[in-house]
Amino acid sequence: MISSPIYLDYCATTPCDPNVVQTMLPYFTEHFGNAASRDHNFGWLALDAVELAREQIAHLIRASSKEIVFTSGATESINLALKGLIEANEPERNHIITSKVEHQAVLDTCAYLEKKGYAITYLDVDEQGLISLDALEESIQEQTGCIALMYGNNETGVLNPVREIGGIARKYGVCFFCDATQAVGKVAIDVNRDEIDFMSFSAHKIYGPKGVGALFMRSNQPRAKILRQQHGGDHERGNRSGTLNVPGIVGFGKAAEICSKEMHREGLFVQRLRDTLEEGLLSSIPSAYVNGARNRLPHVTNIVFPSIDAEMLLLAVSKHVALSRGSACSGITQKSSHVLRAMGLAENFARSAVRISVGRFTKEDDITYAVKILSNAVSDLENKNNVDRELIHR
Amino acid sequence: MLITSGRSGLMKEIKQIIQAYEEACIHKQKVALATVVHVEGSSYRSPGARMLIKEDGMLTGAISGGCLEGDALRKALMVMMQGKPLLTTYDTSDEDDAFIGVGLGCNGIIKVLIEPIKQEDETNPVMLLKAVLQNRQPSVLVTFFSMDNKWSENQGTHLLLKENGVNMQRNTTPIDFQRVLEEAKGVFEKKCPFFVQYSSSENELNNSSLTAFMEYIEPTTSLVVLGAGNDVFPLVQLAEVLGWSITLVDGRPNYASTQRFPTCQLVVSEPEKALQNIVIDDKTAAVLMTHNYHYDKQVLKALSAHPITYIGMLGPKKKLDKMLEELKEEGTDLGQKLLHIYSPIGLHIGAETSEEIALSIIAEIKAVFAGKTGGYLRDLLGRIHDRNTVTIDTVINA
Repeated sequence: MISSPIYLDYCATTPCDPNVVQTMLPYFTEHFGNAASRDHNFGWLALDAVELAREQIAHLIRASSKEIVFTSGATESINLALKGLIEANEPERNHIITSKVEHQAVLDTCAYLEKKGYAITYLDVDEQGLISLDALEESIQEQTGCIALMYGNNETGVLNPVREIGGIARKYGVCFFCDATQAVGKVAIDVNRDEIDFMSFSAHKIYGPKGVGALFMRSNQPRAKILRQQHGGDHERGNRSGTLNVPGIVGFGKAAEICSKEMHREGLFVQRLRDTLEEGLLSSIPSAYVNGARNRLPHVTNIVFPSIDAEMLLLAVSKHVALSRGSACSGITQKSSHVLRAMGLAENFARSAVRISVGRFTKEDDITYAVKILSNAVSDLENKNNVDRELIHR
Repeated sequence: MLITSGRSGLMKEIKQIIQAYEEACIHKQKVALATVVHVEGSSYRSPGARMLIKEDGMLTGAISGGCLEGDALRKALMVMMQGKPLLTTYDTSDEDDAFIGVGLGCNGIIKVLIEPIKQEDETNPVMLLKAVLQNRQPSVLVTFFSMDNKWSENQGTHLLLKENGVNMQRNTTPIDFQRVLEEAKGVFEKKCPFFVQYSSSENELNNSSLTAFMEYIEPTTSLVVLGAGNDVFPLVQLAEVLGWSITLVDGRPNYASTQRFPTCQLVVSEPEKALQNIVIDDKTAAVLMTHNYHYDKQVLKALSAHPITYIGMLGPKKKLDKMLEELKEEGTDLGQKLLHIYSPIGLHIGAETSEEIALSIIAEIKAVFAGKTGGYLRDLLGRIHDRNTVTIDTVINA
């Protein structure tokens, strides 16, 4: 087998930190108990481990441990929060405000609620990917039950003015749901400072295992309420039924603990790598440009290589580097990124956009290598395009 | 003579694959070969359809009508990185499969073998394909695949047998050569694909059951056109699209010139000697369109001595009748050969222009070699493709 390509797609998922795996291992075999078993040592040990993880995760976002509900991942957390809170609201509070650049999980859930008769406002963004706070405030109505806006965008890394959004939501007494899947563990989050009522995130984006996520639910001032979406037991204080994934949760907790300790240093490290990468690509490919350049997550960049088909480029370099086109696509119908389209990018430019994201295990050499591989591949494809064009005009 | 459905159309795909492979070798690019090895139910392409995938994502050939290529490309890139063959299964009967896409109208299970090509291996699958093209001899190409271990390293295009007995095999062929040879004989006789199941004997521990796809490949259709006038251009162009090999014969050097026909083999000759250096076999079609009665007649006479199964001649029925009568008087009785003479030439599709006439001629040759009558598919009862397959079970005694 040939050496594996360099992984630069940390926004899609991250490798499990070896320390996380070590912490998880005993919970598959030795400490296999069900955290809901209340009458023996196996259950007690499992519950204890789950509660420790809950504290570690709560600490990372400056919440209290009782405000953490474990789920199977961010998508479930998003569904639980949006459907759960709208159903728990009084029926006249039937309006949700969100934006056009949210993750598909939020947009699809909103579309489902729209079909059910709820009203949804989709805020526009400017060419930098930012919403207008004035527009947000103007769209709030008496019926508004929720503002659903993300922390950092999964395609461009653009950070929302979360504290301001939280302030506005509180001012009008509207619940603020924030999808922070990409931001947790990458930037310092304080749910109280930002006045967030619900926040979704997952383990596998922060060097934990796949299949585990969490929903933060504010417990006081004011207490956030949801209606459970899954029945079958009073797990998670009646908010989410189902036997807890103890090893996964233990890994999630450990991953959060490492992030709490390393986040600041790691943020500076990945930002330096990302900036080097951007500078390298922009200088070797003059036509390239970055989407959403202002206030961004430190580890991601979204670059357009005009006239290059991103799919062709990524497959051509797949032997050397692993990158992605916006969010993972599904199906054979090629749809350009809804995020980039909302930012006003023309269809053909949106098809030329590549997302590159670095992380904990990225090395400086990887960046040099990636710049070289990508610059060569882009110029090869540019030459091919020129030849094709000549053939057509002949 | 019985003519089974010809699969010479594959030859063009094979030629293109070899060309793309040679380009990849020059640029030191890795490649993988995808082969449709098995189809259950209906599919757009049958077993034997092939596609070459280069590491930069470029595709040559096709394994479907376009719905499977995108996924096969990704699998092929993975195969190149893993360095071992993969059997991938596509179920197009699953309407919910967003991966392949809904509404294909196909309803089948297609197995595609994707194998990495080692360029330093002189008997790699593309080299075997290259040997398929050499000399006008039917070939049997043997590709092994495993139904129970999709990553089995025993899988691959391993063996090429020619009807004249010349063989080529990879040194790692998983099944005993003599055994395979036995079954291959049957393929040459039946002229249809065979599937041979080699199951390991029961006491064997490892899962080593293998299926051999024995593919019968006929030589490419050879088109011999008598006459090199301007009305021949569309005929040559259509035949080229189909990948046929083309020979042009005319007495006039300024007509049969490389300038006018750069891709054809050219013969400038008087009619009596025209066929002397042309190989004429049962996959050769001769088309008489010299617009010269004497020339056509002499060539027709010469052709009657060859084992040819398609002779088409431009002109009305009266012309042929007159010609046959004269030949008879001169002592040449065409006898059984008459069955193979198609004049007026072409299928009845209302052709008027030389382009339309070319289409009707090409379609007629295709139909004759395939043993079909032409006509509307919608009027056909039963299946369109004769996918005759023979399955044989064999037990390997280790």
